[in-house]
Amino acid sequence: MGNAALLPVAFEVILIAGALLVLMVAVIADRRRSVWAPIAGVAYLAAAAAGILQWRAVAESGGDLYFSTPDIVIVRSPMVVMDGFSAFAAILLGLLGFVALLGSWDLVVRLGKRSAEFVALGLLAVAGLHMMAATPNLIVIFIGLETASISFYILAGFIRGSRASDESALKYFLLGSLASAMFLYGIALTFAATGSLTIYGANSIRDFFSVAIITEPGILLAGLALMLAGLFFKVSAAPFHQWAPDVYQGAPSAAVGLMAAGIKVAAFAALARIFIGGFISQIDAWAPIIGVVAALSMVVGTTMALVQTDLKRLLAYSGVAHSGYLLATFVGGVEGVPPMWFYVSTYAFMVVGAFTIVSVVNGPAAHAAPISSFKGLAKRSPEMGWLLAIIMFGLSGMPFFAGFVGKVFAFVVAGEAGFLWLVVIGTLATVVGLAFYLKVVATIFAPDESGEGLEASTSARIAIAISATVTVVFGIVPWPLLEVVRDALPI
Amino acid sequence: MIVTTTWFLLLAAALFSIGVAGVLIRRNALVMFMSIELMLNAVNLTFVAVSRELGLIEGQVAALFVMVVAATEVTVGLAIVVAVFRTRASANVDELAEMKG
Repeated sequence: MGNAALLPVAFEVILIAGALLVLMVAVIADRRRSVWAPIAGVAYLAAAAAGILQWRAVAESGGDLYFSTPDIVIVRSPMVVMDGFSAFAAILLGLLGFVALLGSWDLVVRLGKRSAEFVALGLLAVAGLHMMAATPNLIVIFIGLETASISFYILAGFIRGSRASDESALKYFLLGSLASAMFLYGIALTFAATGSLTIYGANSIRDFFSVAIITEPGILLAGLALMLAGLFFKVSAAPFHQWAPDVYQGAPSAAVGLMAAGIKVAAFAALARIFIGGFISQIDAWAPIIGVVAALSMVVGTTMALVQTDLKRLLAYSGVAHSGYLLATFVGGVEGVPPMWFYVSTYAFMVVGAFTIVSVVNGPAAHAAPISSFKGLAKRSPEMGWLLAIIMFGLSGMPFFAGFVGKVFAFVVAGEAGFLWLVVIGTLATVVGLAFYLKVVATIFAPDESGEGLEASTSARIAIAISATVTVVFGIVPWPLLEVVRDALPI
Repeated sequence: MIVTTTWFLLLAAALFSIGVAGVLIRRNALVMFMSIELMLNAVNLTFVAVSRELGLIEGQVAALFVMVVAATEVTVGLAIVVAVFRTRASANVDELAEMKG
């Protein structure tokens, strides 16, 4: 059993060991050279490789390393679950962490000795994020959420003495803790209603619904609503989005990519695990709530993004709209999980790429990123200009870019589930959204007299190139990824 | 008069509501922070009361985990409040208005 028993937790073990190693090396190493940053890069890649091993083990094992029901081909225990769902999350989060680290390299170099903490916090956050996807236990999901959130609060306030960075950290901390507490109270009420904290297995929530008839659903519904509210906050879905623009703007640009993309991946994974894995029998109760929040997020995110003059705030509001499109996949139940994975994995790389470009143009520690500072970017640095244009096209949902494929599949799932009004609102929001994405593209290609050259570091260029490649490749040939995510279900 | 589990659940709900109201209404970062701790303790009370009612150990274990998480939140939260206080000499969240739009 030896290796098989370690494999399900290998992702977390590698990243946490990496974080501890980084902190120890930082104590003894030469303080002028950031030798610990490559350690973190290796840890991210090793963790992604562990995810691939998990994926293969799940495909080969036929299932019952610990215990499983006959119809489900996965490995699971009451605390850790290793299935296609968690393995895909591991691969995605490992690669995302690596690209985000490359993107934040400039900041790592500038921070000097303190960059060890910066890098270690990133590793711990990603470990927490994956914990949210790889457990059937609600309390462990909460612990993963807090591990990631607390790391992100610190990363948001990482620039010492910067009023904007402090403000960002305090706002994120106060509102984030409020959301975590609501999520936790939701777990407690669900526990009161069902007598279980586990999604699968004996005495689980699924067990409960297969035998029990709920006569007074009040406590259960309150619990579901509170858990939803907590996760809506974390993915900045409207009306729980007010923190996002301020936090994204105040935090160092190089850290925002991981914060914004990582929490979306993990929170949507947890949402799928809890609501599609555990509460699928109650879909009639929660699907309409998710539908309304999805529509609201699309409308609010798109309209607010139209009037933004700062690219970081624009990306924050665009993130609100994208949460709406992602939530639209959930009304389709288990059918919506593959489109959700496709959408969130391509979106995550676009976001990291976009914030990396912001940190190249405005500096990795800066908090302001006025759109006017991108004027004539295509002339100052043709490479950056074109890559940012590609990512903007991808985010806007232009055909032949990954965002388009993701949106089409999301809308198909929502339409088949009978939420046609949601599809209509989503399509309208996409069309209106083109306005602000194309405004950015127009600014990039606008003539600019004062144009001085722009030097980007190699690591930042690699990170941006990877995210632009993801945007283009999966926009033109989405089939391989769609094939893979079909096996990544939380059931 | 018998005190049933329902009483504990109602008390926890009341404490939680007071906590939410505190976060939304009060403007001092430290008081908001204490309100969040109150919410977490209301959750703990719910866990323990339900655990006792159902005869399950999970809820009590959950309460222990929540206490640890709350403690880590305190360390980070106080550090952030101190950092803000250093740059502004105030813990009033209404003065946090660097960014708008």
